[in-house]
Amino acid sequence: MNKMQHMKESFLYRFKTGKWIGPIARYAILILLAYQLLYPVLYMISASIKAPIDSYDPSVIWIPKHYSATGFTDAFKTMKYLDALLRSLLIGLGCALLDVASCALAGYGFARFKFPLKNVFFVCVILTLIVPTQTIILPYYMNMRYFDPLGIMTLISKVTGSETMINLIGNNLAFFIPSALGSGIRSGLYIYIFKQFFEGMSAALEESAYVDGSGPLRTFTHIMLPNAKNAIITVFLFSFVWHFNDYYLSKQLLGTSKRTLIVALSSLRMDLAAVIGGQTEFDPIRVQTRIQAGCLLVILPMFLLYIVTQRKLADSIEHIGIK
Amino acid sequence: MKKKMIPYYQKKKIYGFLFITPWLVGFLLFFVVPFVQSCLYAFQDLSPAPEGMAGEWIGSFNFSYALFRDTEFLIQCAGSLKDLVTVPLILVYSICFALLLKKEYVGRTTMRAIAFLPVIIGSGVLMDILKTDVFSTGVKGAETATLFSGSGLTGLFTAMGLSQDIIGFINNTISKIFDLTWRSGVQILLFLAGLHNIPGYVYEAADIEGANALEQFFKITLPMLTPMILLNIVYSVIDIFSDFGNTIIKMIYDMAFTNMRFGYSSALSILYFLMIGVVLVIVYLVMKRFIVQADD
Repeated sequence: MNKMQHMKESFLYRFKTGKWIGPIARYAILILLAYQLLYPVLYMISASIKAPIDSYDPSVIWIPKHYSATGFTDAFKTMKYLDALLRSLLIGLGCALLDVASCALAGYGFARFKFPLKNVFFVCVILTLIVPTQTIILPYYMNMRYFDPLGIMTLISKVTGSETMINLIGNNLAFFIPSALGSGIRSGLYIYIFKQFFEGMSAALEESAYVDGSGPLRTFTHIMLPNAKNAIITVFLFSFVWHFNDYYLSKQLLGTSKRTLIVALSSLRMDLAAVIGGQTEFDPIRVQTRIQAGCLLVILPMFLLYIVTQRKLADSIEHIGIK
Repeated sequence: MKKKMIPYYQKKKIYGFLFITPWLVGFLLFFVVPFVQSCLYAFQDLSPAPEGMAGEWIGSFNFSYALFRDTEFLIQCAGSLKDLVTVPLILVYSICFALLLKKEYVGRTTMRAIAFLPVIIGSGVLMDILKTDVFSTGVKGAETATLFSGSGLTGLFTAMGLSQDIIGFINNTISKIFDLTWRSGVQILLFLAGLHNIPGYVYEAADIEGANALEQFFKITLPMLTPMILLNIVYSVIDIFSDFGNTIIKMIYDMAFTNMRFGYSSALSILYFLMIGVVLVIVYLVMKRFIVQADD
């Protein structure tokens, strides 16, 4: 009640003194910004539910007069949606969890310990971010195709007589192993985030833990990690989103038969012509309806996840203390 | 029995190494090895073999071919460098947006959610589809009076009597707006984190001393954000250079997996990386003088 009164008073006060211009201008700018950010999404929704006949009707701009769901069903079938979704989610979630674990460890190591070559190693972390994936993708692919880290597989095969090399192409492990070792997609950035975060945390907590007799590892798992919620949420969401949205690595490492949603979306235009048949492929409006429906289907899982977590993400970002 | 004591500082060194060991192994396996291999590939003429690649050493032929005989590569590089013009625009836009998101007002949560939307759904593939379908005027039959559709605006500007050059420029700018705003998600997020990290008492002190909002922005906010500005420049540069729609990236990729010229593709990718490296070094050397390190 008190708060309401306060707001009313301040509103009147603003009106009388002419201080309402600022807020109005701000809301005008915000609405403009929101519009241009939401425009593609609104367009996708509008274009994907529109029946083809409405596209020739000049009086239809946003809200169609005839609805049609064939765009969705066709895109759903062509992309093998459920299969692709499951794979995308599995890779996204798995890599996000592994990235959090490995990058938190490395970030803590860089933030709190002094050891020889530390600065050199940290420059290496930044280097992994700067080198584009395309520079190393070819040998990266070959190493996954004939997976034999440092000759260990050859050694095992000499002892047990099994195959000398494993083929990791088409296997989700091709994503999980690098993530578990802090070398997944943009892992350098996560290490940087964790390092900055741990450096910002008070040292008193750790010191008291040391005095009480717990070792560095125990201190890390019992004291530091539970207090690193903001960094964990941020890194988890970043990693999930970027693995989910990745194209080049997913396309190469998973082979042609196993596709993630993004890879399926990228070839939707070509696949549509093949699956649905001759008479539709020449009609650009029908193709476009299906592609927009496909886009909507691809962003839908991310969108739902985002609606649930966006408040947490925003709060985490504000309190993460990166400098 | 006496337990052997290791001095505390020695122990901390070992533990430090222990913490970064997983990353170090990953770094060696999934970065150093492929990177060195890629450098070696660049000096060879490669073809696929039963186990890995079979190659023949041809010296620096791949590099000289890319630099002096390939008609496309250098032109594409220049095109990519021209894209860097958007970096300052991205920075200004994302600082302004982050400032708008920092203040308390009704509807801020919704606005934050909308502002971060490009981070969540703005994948390269999706942007590519949006650019070809949504922001081109070709497909739609009817003219729509929406912000982004070029045809409606072109008609309006022609009626206003503007010359074709100016109309072309305006249309170009409008189509760039989409690119700009959908590339700025992460930058806004990082700036927002940086803004919240500036302690409130600095502004209080400035208020008491009578600094107005503009002075506060240029003398407190901007200097305190300089480390974040460097991070964001680096991020934006890398983002633009490694984007899905980037023509060089496509060229390198197709060269290897469509044309099967593996060695040449490696050489191109290394030249490209060197170019990015030079740009980033220049950015760093220029920015270094402006960076303010705040001490707590």
